[in-house]
Amino acid sequence: MIITRAPLRISFVGGGTDLPDFYRQYPGRTISVTIDKFTYVIINHIPHTKKVIVKYRDTELVDHPSQLKHNRVKHSLLDLGINRDIEIGSFADISSSAGLGSSSAFSTALLKGLYAFKGRNLNREETAKEACRLEIELLKEPIGKQDQYAASFGGFNIFQFNSDESVDVNPVYISHNDKIKWQNHLLLFFTGITRPAATIFAEQRSNIANNIAVLKEMSDSVFEFEKKLMARDYQGLGIMLNEAWQKKKKLASNISGDLLDQLYDTGIKAGAWGGKILGAGGGGCILFVAPPEMHDSVQKSIREFAVKNNMIGFEEIPVKFTECGTDIVYRANRY
Amino acid sequence: MEKFITDFFNEINNHLKLVSAFEIAKALKIIEAMYERDGRIYIIGNGGSLSIARHMVGDLNKTVFTHRLVGIKRFQAIALPTTDSELTAWANDVGYDMVFAGPLQNYIQDADVLVAISSSGNSPNIIKAVEVAKKFGIPVIALTGFDGGKLLPLADAKILVPTEKGKYDIVESIHEAIVHLITRYFQVFINNHLNKK
Repeated sequence: MIITRAPLRISFVGGGTDLPDFYRQYPGRTISVTIDKFTYVIINHIPHTKKVIVKYRDTELVDHPSQLKHNRVKHSLLDLGINRDIEIGSFADISSSAGLGSSSAFSTALLKGLYAFKGRNLNREETAKEACRLEIELLKEPIGKQDQYAASFGGFNIFQFNSDESVDVNPVYISHNDKIKWQNHLLLFFTGITRPAATIFAEQRSNIANNIAVLKEMSDSVFEFEKKLMARDYQGLGIMLNEAWQKKKKLASNISGDLLDQLYDTGIKAGAWGGKILGAGGGGCILFVAPPEMHDSVQKSIREFAVKNNMIGFEEIPVKFTECGTDIVYRANRY
Repeated sequence: MEKFITDFFNEINNHLKLVSAFEIAKALKIIEAMYERDGRIYIIGNGGSLSIARHMVGDLNKTVFTHRLVGIKRFQAIALPTTDSELTAWANDVGYDMVFAGPLQNYIQDADVLVAISSSGNSPNIIKAVEVAKKFGIPVIALTGFDGGKLLPLADAKILVPTEKGKYDIVESIHEAIVHLITRYFQVFINNHLNKK
């Protein structure tokens, strides 16, 4: 048996610049940090059963991976030539579609595990690349590359997406003390509203030609964000996120609904400096940057808003950063 | 006499400036991630580097936690080999180049980290152990000197004290300072952990 896990992530600025229609014209950049909420994949060898079993929300038992409904597992198994005698299960600290990069985190954990199952240990870069290949090439999802890299490498990083498909990984060398300070300025709420990223990206992608100038600014703003972070200018960071969110809203009509706009405004009125909807927008999580002394006020207002608007599934997620990336946490046979 | 002393200090100072803070930061992140996933850290070296390796094991396991010896998860730093019997058994029966790689394979798991200390970066027994680590895909932190030798390109965090060949005194002195830097970083780190609880 092999158990792997991959962290979820908070993406601060630059989302959308990791799409090929953009980074083939101008380097795309994102800055993100992983949090201590994980997606787990368990892979079990079940010899002589001649079956493939996949356990997630549903349980599938088939004779050949081509019969699977779970697309990512199906294409991974077919690609790696694993046709039978395997059982795969997944667990997650947070439900999917939360805007925290969970589906790509799952892909990295799955591939790291499946390669180990075949006797090969993928390094961080190989894991990220394989997850991109699975999702973008094999599954033809119109998504970017930042989540696969964020999950695989773990920690606080700036990723640069180059036109030749290479990705530069630049860790942000923030001291532990400052990391805790920044962490203590953040509030994260799951809105309970879910929408797959792919549908929004499809529209965002078709709009790239019109929005190239905005996206260039977003890509460049990553350095400004890093500079402010290093200078402990947390208010400046909040304001920056606010501006980035306003810009991103222009990229696709569905990125934010009325309810989310109101939720956002509620947080700002209660004392937050800024924030953003995480992921491709349209739902998922909302992040606020607020001075620690205003956290009670923001939490209270947001909670009241959620109750008043009957937001089912709404909950606060405590923010704690992690340096961990996609790791094998257990394997029965080390040799 | 005074000149002899200040010359040595100056030489240390001048080389200290050449060490990449970026690579040390990388090493700190690697150890931080390892602590979070409850992995183990193996530290190896020959001769003077072995003394530094043993010192680092002690500092990580005890000094980092001196202010709080109960109620917190501690480091699992492991000196390899753990006994003289294993050292001589591997050296005598298999070969001196296996004295670290052999015992490493008794313990190694995916969550772990290897710290390899070698001034030349060319000690065959160190390189053998690093190859085992690479095969398992665990991160390698190198503390090396001179031109970094074969070790430097193999490491994930490449801490190099660049000197002319043979300057063991300078390289080892600076390696000791870096070990204390790492110790102090994790003292702060652990204090933060405690304050949050």
